[in-house]
Amino acid sequence: MKLAKFFTSLAITLLLIYLINRGWTIGSVSIPPLGKFLDPFHGFWQNLEPTGYQGKKQLIIPGLKAPVTVVYDSLLIPHIFAQNNDDLYLSQGYITAMHRLWQMEFQTHAAAGRVSEIVASDAVLNYDRRQRRLGMVYGAGNALASMGKHPAIVQYTEGVNRFIETLDYKNLPFEYKLLDYQPEPWTPLKCALLLKNMAQTLNMGDKDIEMTNALKLYGREMVDLLYPDNEKSGDPIVEKPGQWNFQAITLDGVPPAIPDDLIEIKKLAVSDPNTGSNNWAVSGSKTYTGSPMLAGDPHLDLTLPSIWYAVQLHGPEINTMGATLPGVPSVIIGFNDSIAWSVTNAQRDLVDWYKITFRDKSRDQYLLDGKWVDTRKVVEEIKMRGGSTFYDTVVYTHWGPVTYDNQFQSQNELNGYAFRWIAHDPSEEINAFHRLNRAKNHAEFMEAVNYFSSPAQNFVFASVSGDIAIRVQGKFPVRRKDEGRFVLDGSKSSNGWQAFIPNGHNVMDKNPERGFVSSANQYPADSTYPYYITSTEYQAYRNRRINQVLREAGNITFRDMMRLQTDNYNLKAAESLPLFLSYLDSTQLNHLEKQAYQVLRSWDYFNHANSAGASYYEAWWDNLMPLLWDEMQNETASLSRPTAYNTIRLLRDKPELPFFDIEHTQEKETAADIINRAFILAVEDIEKWKLDHTTLPVWAEFKDSYIPHLLPPLRALSIPVKTGGNHDIVNAHSRTHGPSWRMVVSLEPSGIKTWAVYPGGQSGNPGSAHHHDMVARWEKGNYFPMLFLKAPDENIQKIFYSTQLNPKGQ
Amino acid sequence: MRLIIQVLVIVVLGFFMELLLPWWSVAIAAFIGGLLVTTRLNFLAGFLAIGILWFVKALINDLVTDSDLTDRVAAIFMLHSKVLLLLVTLLLGGLVGGFAAMSGGALRKYRV
Repeated sequence: MKLAKFFTSLAITLLLIYLINRGWTIGSVSIPPLGKFLDPFHGFWQNLEPTGYQGKKQLIIPGLKAPVTVVYDSLLIPHIFAQNNDDLYLSQGYITAMHRLWQMEFQTHAAAGRVSEIVASDAVLNYDRRQRRLGMVYGAGNALASMGKHPAIVQYTEGVNRFIETLDYKNLPFEYKLLDYQPEPWTPLKCALLLKNMAQTLNMGDKDIEMTNALKLYGREMVDLLYPDNEKSGDPIVEKPGQWNFQAITLDGVPPAIPDDLIEIKKLAVSDPNTGSNNWAVSGSKTYTGSPMLAGDPHLDLTLPSIWYAVQLHGPEINTMGATLPGVPSVIIGFNDSIAWSVTNAQRDLVDWYKITFRDKSRDQYLLDGKWVDTRKVVEEIKMRGGSTFYDTVVYTHWGPVTYDNQFQSQNELNGYAFRWIAHDPSEEINAFHRLNRAKNHAEFMEAVNYFSSPAQNFVFASVSGDIAIRVQGKFPVRRKDEGRFVLDGSKSSNGWQAFIPNGHNVMDKNPERGFVSSANQYPADSTYPYYITSTEYQAYRNRRINQVLREAGNITFRDMMRLQTDNYNLKAAESLPLFLSYLDSTQLNHLEKQAYQVLRSWDYFNHANSAGASYYEAWWDNLMPLLWDEMQNETASLSRPTAYNTIRLLRDKPELPFFDIEHTQEKETAADIINRAFILAVEDIEKWKLDHTTLPVWAEFKDSYIPHLLPPLRALSIPVKTGGNHDIVNAHSRTHGPSWRMVVSLEPSGIKTWAVYPGGQSGNPGSAHHHDMVARWEKGNYFPMLFLKAPDENIQKIFYSTQLNPKGQ
Repeated sequence: MRLIIQVLVIVVLGFFMELLLPWWSVAIAAFIGGLLVTTRLNFLAGFLAIGILWFVKALINDLVTDSDLTDRVAAIFMLHSKVLLLLVTLLLGGLVGGFAAMSGGALRKYRV
């Protein structure tokens, strides 16, 4: 009897331990191993950092050649002082992983289409399949062939791995514990994947399939009216008509035929169309100090942990600081002792889709120049959490991977669509940043940027020696007119990219007479630039607002630069609201609508946080677009809406456009009808909103922004923020997207001064005080002065703590 | 009195084993406590010892941090407050400790 009691209770004990030592999935709910996770000696309670927590003061890191000193300032920004380049990058890898390992690895898994290994669902599997079919690993592998041996990548990889080796369950980052998995060793491929991940964010936007469908449905004339290549909204990046002094490359041969297809595939969105950025530099002639100033703020999906990690790197012949991408060596946007630089996205269309004709449904051969050519098949193994594996055969042609075929998002057995992307080509971005971090002047900046091919960026530059410059840099194919706008015939090799624009022919300018250079994702050049340019969308508002302010400004201080970065002036509203109001039949309005009408009439066009007018305008706009372009919500074929700028132009100039008729109604609507209807819906939306909220419908409340965790289902880890701005406004903060790093640099000969802030914090650990300690200041449009040190002990009172990294055996 | 000694033995043993071994080492501690200092209330002793050990350690970690992660984890677990999360921690540790101590006690009684 007593023996039975012993065995029973022992069995219960062991069963209980088993049950809570592993994770469980019940339906769609995943439960972490509760015993491990809640044990306060090893579980998540260990990720709660005590107040004033400091890391170890001494670390031994095998692989280092000499001691390295890392000084942390009050924001936990590491200032790394190494005696040689290898140690510098090894330390950068180690320290970055210490703060951001989970994020680094998760982003590479996401890029490579391996999220199913962590969380399995049908939607995730579809995401993974798409990533594989876009050839992300294929592109990263090609990049690795040219930069995999770069010492910075090799050393950084080693540094990350030295950190991973120190981990046990107790000090594992929080997300690994919650999602119940382990980090794997870091590889150079992962560094390349992170660069491709950025290229995907910035440079995978295209609408070739949508344009082809529009061409079939609406005809050529309407396509040119709805989607012009150049909207001529004014203020291109560089305006020097007739001064493009080079002999442009022209292509012989027949331009690609315009297709006549309706493409019935379910296209998956690959990037946010609102992605964009601002940057500018002003020459000393316009500043208070007489020295140039530079400002940059890349706009991205805002997440926690943040996309950026700030670092200072100091070594022989290098002293640089700025924003780094966790997982990639070097500083991406920043400054050094002599220069500063920042980037915005160049937007240019560098994605082409080729229609492939397969010989039969085996997809073994495809037609090329009248012959059947073999395809190459790659079997993608997608490992799913729980043990099963999904196999997906991806067909490769000489163009690139066939993303859409009868296996994925399409029913068509004999045709597929192959993806040609500039970021599939070998490239040496890491070399560009390596040199940029060390560049001393404009000439060295230009040389460094020559190594940069993708994703194409607008580099803005300023130097202590007084120069300012801008350069649109990327590897751009020479295109014939219309090439790249529509889906191309993949059975003719002549439809491929024949030549690339030489670096020297790219759009650039140095020390222009007007005393400033700027870019905000707008059209790159005046109409005399000799190469054909096309894109999904060019910005038409932020660029003009920035230039308007800079043109009028003089004696500019760093505060003026900050004011412009956080400028809430809504130029789009200023140009469209008077038109909308003039179309509004104010005699027909009810009481609430009259109130809204008055609010809008007295609005100053600033999307300030406390503005009610902004809420009404944005609600109006958000209702207007889908009503106007209801034809684009096609069930079977993807279509895209015209841009905001072109929409407003058409409403003004062509109010009778047949598109303005709502399809499913009897009446024949015009622009005025739609604008009135959208207004009524907007007022209804705001009234509905008021029922659920106790605050006034001011813009920050109505916009309801938040910074989500990198894994969106973890909504409990997101942070609400109340800000003004919006897309198409210089302060480009929409709901979850916006300025991911704000930087202002004053290039004074007595020493560079920098102010910066980003919506997050240095630590990726949600249990750290530094997880989102910069958000409050970012929200208010304030900055932190950056501590830029010449030596580890230069400014001891501003230092939080320092760590000595020692080689093994010393 | 003996119960208090038993609880203390398990707490101290559990604390030191946790420093060296994974979380399930608290079961070993409670088992040994049940075996060496057997009482009539082995389960209660094990439950109180490990439950309180876990509760107090978790509470201390939460008190000394500036972070609000505990609230956020409570929200992920669909609990209304972090107090509930602390109680869940106590309960889990307590159950493991309780059954392990009961097993230890049963073994002792069998041998005797």
